[in-house]
Amino acid sequence: MFDLQLDEELELLVETARSFAREELSPRLREAESARGPDPGVCASFAEIGLAALELPEACGGAGLGALARVLVNEELAAGDVGAAVALDPLGPALYPLLELGGETALKELALPLLAREGARAVLVAAADAELEVGADAVSGAVPWVPADRVDLLVVLDSEGAVALQSGIETEPLRGAGLRAAGASALRLQNAPIVARWRGREQAGRALARARLYLASLLVGVLRQTCEFTRDYALQRVAFGRPIAHHQALAFLLVDMHAAVDGARLLLHEAAWNADRGRANAALSATAFIEAIDASRFVGPNGVQILGGHGFMQDYPVEKYMRESRALGLLLGGVDAAREEAGRALCDAGAPVALSELEIV
Amino acid sequence: MEFTIDKAMRERLEEARERGRDEMRPIGLIADRLGRPIPRDDPYFEGLIASGEGRTRWPGLKSKPRPSTRDPLRTVTMTLLLTEEWAYWDRGVMVANPGPGLPEGNVLALGTDEQKEQYLGPFLDPDRPRWACFAMTEPGAGSDAAAIRTHARKDGDHWILNGAKCFIGNASRADWILVQATIDPEKGRDAQRAFFVEQATPGLGGFKIEKKMGLKAYESTSFTLSDCRVPAANLLGGEARYEERAGFKTAMRTFNAGRPIIAANSVGIGRAALDEALDFARERDLLGDSRVRDRLEQMARKLRAGRLLCLRAGWLADRMAPNIVEASMSKAIAAGVAQEATSLGMELLGSVGARGDHLIEKLYRDAKAMDIVEGTGQIQRMIMARHLVQLPRN
Ligand SMILES: Cc1cc2nc3c(=O)[nH]c(=O)nc-3n(C[C@H](O)[C@H](O)[C@H](O)COP(=O)(O)OP(=O)(O)OC[C@H]3O[C@@H](n4cnc5c(N)ncnc54)[C@H](O)[C@@H]3O)c2cc1C
Repeated sequence: MFDLQLDEELELLVETARSFAREELSPRLREAESARGPDPGVCASFAEIGLAALELPEACGGAGLGALARVLVNEELAAGDVGAAVALDPLGPALYPLLELGGETALKELALPLLAREGARAVLVAAADAELEVGADAVSGAVPWVPADRVDLLVVLDSEGAVALQSGIETEPLRGAGLRAAGASALRLQNAPIVARWRGREQAGRALARARLYLASLLVGVLRQTCEFTRDYALQRVAFGRPIAHHQALAFLLVDMHAAVDGARLLLHEAAWNADRGRANAALSATAFIEAIDASRFVGPNGVQILGGHGFMQDYPVEKYMRESRALGLLLGGVDAAREEAGRALCDAGAPVALSELEIV
Repeated sequence: MEFTIDKAMRERLEEARERGRDEMRPIGLIADRLGRPIPRDDPYFEGLIASGEGRTRWPGLKSKPRPSTRDPLRTVTMTLLLTEEWAYWDRGVMVANPGPGLPEGNVLALGTDEQKEQYLGPFLDPDRPRWACFAMTEPGAGSDAAAIRTHARKDGDHWILNGAKCFIGNASRADWILVQATIDPEKGRDAQRAFFVEQATPGLGGFKIEKKMGLKAYESTSFTLSDCRVPAANLLGGEARYEERAGFKTAMRTFNAGRPIIAANSVGIGRAALDEALDFARERDLLGDSRVRDRLEQMARKLRAGRLLCLRAGWLADRMAPNIVEASMSKAIAAGVAQEATSLGMELLGSVGARGDHLIEKLYRDAKAMDIVEGTGQIQRMIMARHLVQLPRN
């Protein structure tokens, strides 16, 4: 039956990620942003707790955990500093095509070396977000933005499969709308040699679904932090003789922000839980991603609003949360591609529409 | 963590689906068209009683065990899933269905054994369709439930009630009405008491069935109490219960248990709109249009989130964990989702929606009440804000 209780292993994992984020990430959030990367000490202590290998199979030296573990950890890290969370995971969502399409060989050849290389970054790009010509042996073209300053492995994913590239990738630094702690570059590819090519519609779909969950969990983390920060602020700040949180217009706004994040999180957990059971979850994952983006449009700007003019200033983190949550939702085809997928899935459904696994089917 | 429904529950839902499709929806459409509640002697109600519905959850006194009936639902979560399914077919008919209804929870929680026997006993194995109802709202006080004016005065071993109630579900057909009153209007919540007022008690009268925008299948009724005398024993829980502030809490307990149910009803209404909209779009060959698909996607997504919020509140209740914020959140969000889903459904129908004869148009009217009954959306937000930011009561 319906049960939201996490098992002990996952509880412990969440606790580990949460204290790391609290102690190491959030206090250095502006520092990491201006340095375009987390402090080397932070990177070292992150490597020590081993969260990057969370979803790698045990045969590859990983923890063999799944999507649920990843989204729980990501929420915590992103609540600390979402830019740093992206920077600290050398594989990021680029792991999923390797996992789903490439299998163990690909993981060993392409993913494991990155874990050992300091500062290494794998980047996943949806073919639709770039202008790329994928030839028989090489890829040429441009990617307008990736949240990275270096690319050790580039995985280009489309609905049919993926290709992996390791060289011939030129990075041009950008200012970036957000996530600067992870870097920001445009990519130019000139006959970048394809080191691996995998085909498989179903597997590619699963990889994209997992990648969307990855992004949705980062969104949920940064949005949760927006809610918590603004709540605390609104209880301190006084206007017209009382804490601004006690003016009903703001009190209601705060609870609605909170509810938006709770709804997005529940969708995310349901989709991740399904992914871990190998159930078809392309539409559920797309839905979780869309809802997180929807929440970001509401929560991000209102986070700034609640701080008034102070929110607009960079002395407070809310303007960063607003920019970064907006930027995250533009990755992997953004909301349009996800809506396309979830909408098409509905077209194939008969009444009653199954809202979830809970449905009588 | 788990997101599944077990087999027994699935079977219950299948049954509800059959009854919903074959009986509830057709009879609800008729009531809507005729603009009047289902008559109390309608064979539909008799059929429900014959098939074992309309019973109380109360197991009966130990000395007199209840006649064997089907298992009552074991958990709040299961109840939520079932009421979602009923509301999918017709939320108005669901409320019209006989049974002890809204006040049952209060009586179970606070009633004396004698009161349970007297007022829930007839619902153990009812000889005919029977109803009960809960009357809090008055013309002058709804959200601000502490401001009700219906007055109770002790007179020997009786109470004398005076006042007016409005919008009370099933009031004119109820065997008894649990009436919320005050013994001192100046003292707010602390002075509130609940009384069993049996139908045909002298002084209870002036029943007026309101004309509503939707949910027409059940009666929402106003009535008056003029020097209405009830025995002292009709005070819910007996005198001892009403020390300190327990009086108002009695009422609020009903509301608290009800919030996730209204959330589940909202999801049910919204799901019906989604299915109808999808069928409409398919029949008219509109699914190739991304604006149509986007609306359907939005409906489905918001309903999914609303349902999970609702089940979370129920799951917490089943674990006896505090769920005040989650219960209010589920109701506030799901009611909005139902309104949005039915409204998007109307957009999808275009001018067909404006004809007034499509199911989605009915759902659009029915759904609105979900954001009003058992604490408006604003009141839910106040409750949440009290917990999240300690919003003061005044
Ligand atoms: C179909 C239907 C069935 C019903 N069935 C029953 C029943 O069986 N038994 C029963 O007792 N009642 C019943 N009711 C009544 C229902 O509970 C009340 O209508 C509801 O509580 C709102 O009260 P009100 O109508 O007096 O509105 P008001 O309290 O006058 O509210 C008007 C508006 O002001 C807002 N508001 C009020 N206070 C605040 C505040 N502090 N901050 C911000 N906004 C505020 C409200 O949200 C609302 O938008 C029913 C109502 C309907 C529509």
